[in-house]
Amino acid sequence: MDVAPVAAARDGDRMAFGILYERYVRMVHGILLSRVPLVEVDDLVHEVFLVALRQLHTLRSDAAFGAWLARITRNRAHDYFRRSPARKEVALPEVLPGPGAESSSAEAEAHVALNAIRALPAAYRETLVLRLVEGMTGPEIAARTGLTPASVRVNLHRGMKLLRKKLSGKTDYE
Amino acid sequence: MNNDYLWDGSGKPDPDIENLERVLGRFRHNRPAPRFPEIIPGNEPRRSRFAWSLSIFQSLVVATGAMAVLFLSVWFVHRSIRGAAGEETFAVTGLQGAPKVGTQAFTTRGQLSIGQSLSTDQNSRARIHVNDFGDVTIEPNSRVRLLDARSNRKQLALDRGGLHARITAPPWQFYVETPSATAVDLGCEYTLTVDDSGAGLLRVTFGWVQFYSGDRQALIPAGAAARTRPGIGPGTPYFEDVSPGYQKALEELDFGKGAPAARAAALDLLLKESRSADVLSLFPLLSRVSESERGLIYERLSVLSPAPLGVTREGIIRGDNAQISLWWDHWGLGHPKK
Repeated sequence: MDVAPVAAARDGDRMAFGILYERYVRMVHGILLSRVPLVEVDDLVHEVFLVALRQLHTLRSDAAFGAWLARITRNRAHDYFRRSPARKEVALPEVLPGPGAESSSAEAEAHVALNAIRALPAAYRETLVLRLVEGMTGPEIAARTGLTPASVRVNLHRGMKLLRKKLSGKTDYE
Repeated sequence: MNNDYLWDGSGKPDPDIENLERVLGRFRHNRPAPRFPEIIPGNEPRRSRFAWSLSIFQSLVVATGAMAVLFLSVWFVHRSIRGAAGEETFAVTGLQGAPKVGTQAFTTRGQLSIGQSLSTDQNSRARIHVNDFGDVTIEPNSRVRLLDARSNRKQLALDRGGLHARITAPPWQFYVETPSATAVDLGCEYTLTVDDSGAGLLRVTFGWVQFYSGDRQALIPAGAAARTRPGIGPGTPYFEDVSPGYQKALEELDFGKGAPAARAAALDLLLKESRSADVLSLFPLLSRVSESERGLIYERLSVLSPAPLGVTREGIIRGDNAQISLWWDHWGLGHPKK
């Protein structure tokens, strides 16, 4: 499905790269959100796509674009922490609700849920963020990331089970 | 647990998952796509082994080319124009502390590309050199993003914090977007601040600025300011030497909850305190108030700036934009240059 825009983007077609951006930005955003502080995510999304643009000529199989981009994204998140070992995940909200915010309790509930997901093993948290935050379906996650549908299904179900356990007693999800 | 719903959203919704989707949806990606470079850097055709065996002559040519590229790169950095990707970038200078471009801190010089952000903490400040347009100083605890850098249109987004823009470019070419309104330079110098709720304040020190959101706009001359609120847009402009009560009255009319008594008191104060220069505030109010309130404003405006031929009380009360514009044009302060 993505072979044509990948080939066109490699030939310098900016519009084709824009199509790839639209198709994959939620995946990149979700993978980063599951790993780095919230305030850094948007900048890192931009950096990942610039790296992809520069390195597109090294991609051997156009059909593997999604898996390749996912790997770049995970590496970029890894580099983020490696460059500064003092950096740690921020447990509390980095963006505090202002007067216009819906309500402080809803904001707090969202951060509790996100932090609970981020505390799960990498495979589960990534898949759950893509499903619950970015709104992607299981088949879509598999198609974008290059994982098999069976793996995604297992990650979703096991991750959700762990998440329910984590949230039980703190919220009314269970 | 309903597995189909977790898998692909089909079947009977699981209330727990639905709730998680609702609360976590606020973190979903929602930024517009940045503009990507036309030329793909590093996109070179794969070479055969033979091609790698360059002769001495070819090596010299390559070396000469490399020197030229190096020279041009230095020139580009100093001129703060096109970056390696063929897109325009802006040079940024650290004024204090260690501001960041993206996730990278710098102390003296950096480059800001389209889609990247420049952020400062409480101890840092920076200046963006907007090529031939002027410069923008970013105050502490701020975050701006570069959205557009075409030759005839430069656009930043101020997500939070403050900036001071000094622009010498022709009007309608430099834009700063905030969460609740966009400022357009009309040949000017101004300060713009945005708080964590997305509300903002624009204060003009030279020239004119247009501040707009959808159809709602404020034209703000030097010495004047306007507030803006998320979901509403810019409020009525006012000269900064009006009383605090006058400013509060405008806030009530622009952003208040619409309680009739509070609105009436606010309008009463405005009409009583308005001087001839304050028609700057009264004109925009004409298109933001009810018919009965418009009648009261008409009476006061008629005293401060007599209506020209072609402007009638009836026309103003029914909100005739052509008549309001005619009256505005007749007023001494006039329009900014277009």
